[in-house]
Amino acid sequence: MTAYLTRRLSRVALVGGAAVAAMMLSACGNGLASGGGGSSDNGPIVLGMLTPLSGSSSAIGPYMKNGAQLAVDEINGKGGVNGRKLELKVEDEACDAKSATAGANKLVTEGVKISVGGYCSGATLPTLPIFEKADVPMLIPAANSNELVKQHKKNVFLINGTGVQQSDAALKFMKKVGATKVALMDDNTSYSKDIADTTAKLLTGSPALAGRESVTAGESDYSANVHAILKSQPDFIYWTGYYQEGGLIIRQLRQAGYTGKIMVADGSVDQKLVDIAGPTVAEGVFATMTQTPDTIQGADKWIADYKSKFGAAPGPYSTQAYDAVRVAAEAVKQAGSTDGSAVIKALEGIDGFQLFSGPLKFTPDHTLSSGGFQILAVENGKIVLKDTLQ
Amino acid sequence: MTQLIWNGLFVGSFYALVALGYSMVYGIIRLLNFAHGDLYMLGAFTGFGVLSVAGGLVTGLGFVALLIVLVISMLVTGTAGLLLERIAYRPLRSAPRLSVLITAVGASFALEYGMRLVAGPNPEVYPVRLAGDSINLLGARITIQQASLILIAVLLMAGLQWLVMGTGTGRAMRAISQDPTAALYMGINVDAIIARTFFIGSALAGAAGVMAGGYYGKIDFLMGFIIGLKAFTAAVIGGIGNIKGAMLGGLALGLLESLGTAWIGGQWRDVFAFGFLIVFLTLRPTGILGERVTERV
Repeated sequence: MTAYLTRRLSRVALVGGAAVAAMMLSACGNGLASGGGGSSDNGPIVLGMLTPLSGSSSAIGPYMKNGAQLAVDEINGKGGVNGRKLELKVEDEACDAKSATAGANKLVTEGVKISVGGYCSGATLPTLPIFEKADVPMLIPAANSNELVKQHKKNVFLINGTGVQQSDAALKFMKKVGATKVALMDDNTSYSKDIADTTAKLLTGSPALAGRESVTAGESDYSANVHAILKSQPDFIYWTGYYQEGGLIIRQLRQAGYTGKIMVADGSVDQKLVDIAGPTVAEGVFATMTQTPDTIQGADKWIADYKSKFGAAPGPYSTQAYDAVRVAAEAVKQAGSTDGSAVIKALEGIDGFQLFSGPLKFTPDHTLSSGGFQILAVENGKIVLKDTLQ
Repeated sequence: MTQLIWNGLFVGSFYALVALGYSMVYGIIRLLNFAHGDLYMLGAFTGFGVLSVAGGLVTGLGFVALLIVLVISMLVTGTAGLLLERIAYRPLRSAPRLSVLITAVGASFALEYGMRLVAGPNPEVYPVRLAGDSINLLGARITIQQASLILIAVLLMAGLQWLVMGTGTGRAMRAISQDPTAALYMGINVDAIIARTFFIGSALAGAAGVMAGGYYGKIDFLMGFIIGLKAFTAAVIGGIGNIKGAMLGGLALGLLESLGTAWIGGQWRDVFAFGFLIVFLTLRPTGILGERVTERV
């Protein structure tokens, strides 16, 4: 979503430049001030979450927020952690670096001990050093660009599978269905390009890389891109961007007469993808995705709990946000304090803690040792589990 | 190649419809109405609202239903344009031009996030979709619906051309664009004519919004931003203030994007299209059909 940001900026800059500068200044001031503060040791343990509540990805925010809140309430219901309650503070990330840094600074000044947020990779990236300076460990539930891993920050842990793991899963499935010429389409954002790049590197020999194409997010007509990609005559197309453009691209690919297989990455896994493409058009589209509440066996009770509490069904990243809070609580419990380095040590030591995606053990890179990516498919207008790739 | 040109012309006709409003408003009161793209969004959502409320009554009618909705949405967005002009622009008409520019940016945000409050942040999907079998024409795949949409666009533009060149209102508009004060002395009701200009320009943007909703299917509250920028560009390419120029500019931009994508790849499309624009404007600063602007003292 960074491309979106820069475009948006061109206009916002006219108006907002001064305001933003002022905001940044005050935010920095706060950040420095917080070092001396620190909340008392018997008040609630504050967890902070940055998630998009406005902007083009604002549909995801409530899913993550509610998922995290559910875990907080459950843990508090059982007496909290080390005798202390948990408290969740949520700030808007807006899928935009400016909002995210402002939000991160605000959370730090509010005495957040562990961060359990981060959806858009482009927006999450600049918050890493802010939380690092404040000695706040980060459990990132959704953002999973390799850029985040490449920073090699000690305080950063990824609860979602990474781009590399997703590419591996994609390749596995392409081989399984006998694809020979694969075309990749991305939307030029950090997250999307990352998956396309890593997948392209894997496409040597068979299946081979037929072509690549980047689209501009936020538009309606992708017929020119579709035309360009179909010239390479692929039999398998992998879209690595988000669902809004994904739905349009699937529809326009089919309208242009493409009959081969289409697969989308996890950012496109949303029922809206099917709605936008049209249920008959989207039929048979595959997706690489970590487990969602709908595809996890035995998650019925969890879904029912979520529904009764929030009056809406859980969505993408509800489970990861829920797990992030639980992992945070577990680490604090094991560390016996909320001290940043102690919590990080505890996180590194966690082995076998049960998450939705399977037992948790972090790699030395602080990513999941098993990404838990599966293949979903659109069947009768619904996104269902197709292949666990086991 | 025919496919590329067809794709370009199809996208270009959307740009052209929106660019017309930009160009008309600029031509008559020298205002860059940044909220114009959001009127396109408003049109798309009005159409969506009408279709949702009418439900089964119209969905069976398909294309005809969209035509009815098109007219309703044009009236609604036209009225919204009127209100916008009355509330946000008229009180500032004698203020420095920068103030009005900022008001326009503000109006744009107000429309976008106002719609977000009303309709929510999630994209919506049109209940009536235009999809049909494509026919092969000179090597390009064309659907009847695409052809019909272009036809509607052409009819709207022809209607506008007639209105501006062949009616009293049009003559008054042209008079105001040349000299508002003199036009006032000649007994023209300047406020009313400017309001009418806003109505027509906004209605065209609304029409484009409904057409985009019906054809592409997905609408969201930020959909007007990019097309607003593109339409502004198209208006400048054509020569801002010139109505035929806006049409030509829209088609030219659509073609440039289509060819740029095919020749050097999607990630370079905007670089190609806008690079060309810079070169073109360096050589011909007034655009394709624009006239040299003389300083008015």
